[in-house]
Amino acid sequence: MALGLRLPEAGVPTRWSGGRSQASRRVLRKINRLGALNRAGLVLLVLITLMLLAVPLIAPHGPLDNVGRTFGHPGAKGFLLGTDEQSRDLLSRVLYGMRTTWFAAFLVIGSGIVIGGIIGLTAGMAGGWVDALLMRFTDVFLALPGPLLALAVVSALGASLPHTLVAVMIVWWPFYARIVRGEVRSIMSRSHVEAARMGGAGRLGLAFRHVLPGTVGPVLVTASLDIGALILTLAGLSFLGLGSPAPAAELGAMSARGLTYLLTKWWVPVMPALGVFVLVFVANVAGDAVRDLAEG
Amino acid sequence: MSRLIAGRAAGLLGVLAALTLAVFMIKAVLPADPVRASIGARATEAQVKAKKAELGYDKPLVTQYVNFVGDVVKGDLGDSLRTRRPVTKDIGRFLPATAELAFVAALLAGGLGLVLGITSARGGRIAGATRTVMLALASAPTFCLALLAILLFYRKLNWLPSAGRITRKLTPPERTRFLLVDTLLAGDFTAFVDVVKHLIMPSLCLAIGPAVAIGRVLRGSLLDVLRQDHTRTARSKGLSQRAVLVRHALRNALGPTLSMTGLQIGLLLSGVVVVELVFAWPGLGLYTTQAIQNADFPAVIGITLVMGTAYVLINAIVDVLQVVADPRLKTAGAR
Repeated sequence: MALGLRLPEAGVPTRWSGGRSQASRRVLRKINRLGALNRAGLVLLVLITLMLLAVPLIAPHGPLDNVGRTFGHPGAKGFLLGTDEQSRDLLSRVLYGMRTTWFAAFLVIGSGIVIGGIIGLTAGMAGGWVDALLMRFTDVFLALPGPLLALAVVSALGASLPHTLVAVMIVWWPFYARIVRGEVRSIMSRSHVEAARMGGAGRLGLAFRHVLPGTVGPVLVTASLDIGALILTLAGLSFLGLGSPAPAAELGAMSARGLTYLLTKWWVPVMPALGVFVLVFVANVAGDAVRDLAEG
Repeated sequence: MSRLIAGRAAGLLGVLAALTLAVFMIKAVLPADPVRASIGARATEAQVKAKKAELGYDKPLVTQYVNFVGDVVKGDLGDSLRTRRPVTKDIGRFLPATAELAFVAALLAGGLGLVLGITSARGGRIAGATRTVMLALASAPTFCLALLAILLFYRKLNWLPSAGRITRKLTPPERTRFLLVDTLLAGDFTAFVDVVKHLIMPSLCLAIGPAVAIGRVLRGSLLDVLRQDHTRTARSKGLSQRAVLVRHALRNALGPTLSMTGLQIGLLLSGVVVVELVFAWPGLGLYTTQAIQNADFPAVIGITLVMGTAYVLINAIVDVLQVVADPRLKTAGAR
């Protein structure tokens, strides 16, 4: 056997060169080069996700439990954020609310990626009139005011958290369709796709094995920058009374219902609002970090 | 230029048609039953049928859509279930308050965005601090800013009023319903100042999110332009960093910033609903909240149409403005 045949092509990971660990080492090196704020963002992202997963274990009380005194000051008697008008522990309620919002946001982004991904992939791979049609459709959707339409959809469906999520899902995909389609078009013109096609790869195989993986990076970056805006939208809809009905621990709704006490018991409406702020801040800092990771 | 505007106008009509279609689908497909809603749950089967025929809900969907668009064009959006008045009339009554607030907020957003963008692009410690402040501001939900503003400027300092558009006893005779204009027309300076004071907090809360978004885009494109040759030439002939930024880089960087501004002013229209609720601002936003709470579906549909149209129009205007600001786009669009 000729020696030359066994030499792997440069840059192609092979079993004996330990390609995978090399790749993860490269990511680690990149993380090391990030600025302090970026690194803090990534750490916070992981920490807050773990913390919110563990809320039922770490919350001092249940979100609906009456714990004894109404309108307790923040910090008084061991209630870190105080208690509300029905003597419920605000810390526990805010934690549960943050948990709901955080994972709801991931769910909506995920659905946006799937719907937008399917449309973008179809348009980009098909080209021609299918592409033109799907992209006109997407453009029109992009030109409409998403939050406003979502508001109309929820009020037609009836206020509830699942309805809010469905409504936002309906308006949250066009941006992803655009990005995926753009990436697919540029990947399709590269030589590895041509090689795969000549090698006899079918349409689906081509799409999922050779094209789709190339779109993952840009989509993830967009998504990470998008989560903050989405959380703000969800919280806004909840503030307007379009989320879960009364006793549920939902940040926007808690803040809206506490509005009456703003001038006398400020912590009742302010604490849930700060809960939203913390989530969006972490999402934004981490989003910037993910973008820098991808670019740097 | 005129061909460009004609092209954009055609696109605009398409988008507006899509908007009516979207709203119609929400109306037709979703479970809110307008017939039951208007005559009550206890109506007999015959009554429901009669009302259905009267409202045209027994016709095929395509006919219903054509009728719907016809009504919309004629300005007939049906009657509000809550106020029992035509929705168009209600919207006309509440629109000026919202338009005034949104206009002031848009000006503030543009101005603040310009300042934030330029400051954060200049480099140095101030720029770093500005970026951090922007990050924090961009992360705060509008209602959070509004609550904190009321606590600080109303409860603690008592500088600004926390609710409404004007102190009741100062209300000027009604002419345009734009209080800034009405108070000036009445020549009542005290009332004018009062209106301005009422405007500060709501418009600022509304403006901050868009301002930060505009500032971020402006910073990005300024940094891009500053890397180009012509700015290096400007600097090498001895101009100060500031002169280079303002005179040579800014106009080039305005294109992307303008399109972001259009988008943000559009989004500001949905922020209005939250701000009006917190500041008890008697405008369309408050009307929307009340409509939502009372399941007043015709009103919600009407507002979505009106605000949606405003959003689409604003973005179309910005599109044209962008070409005016950067003539290079004209050839790019023609190709």
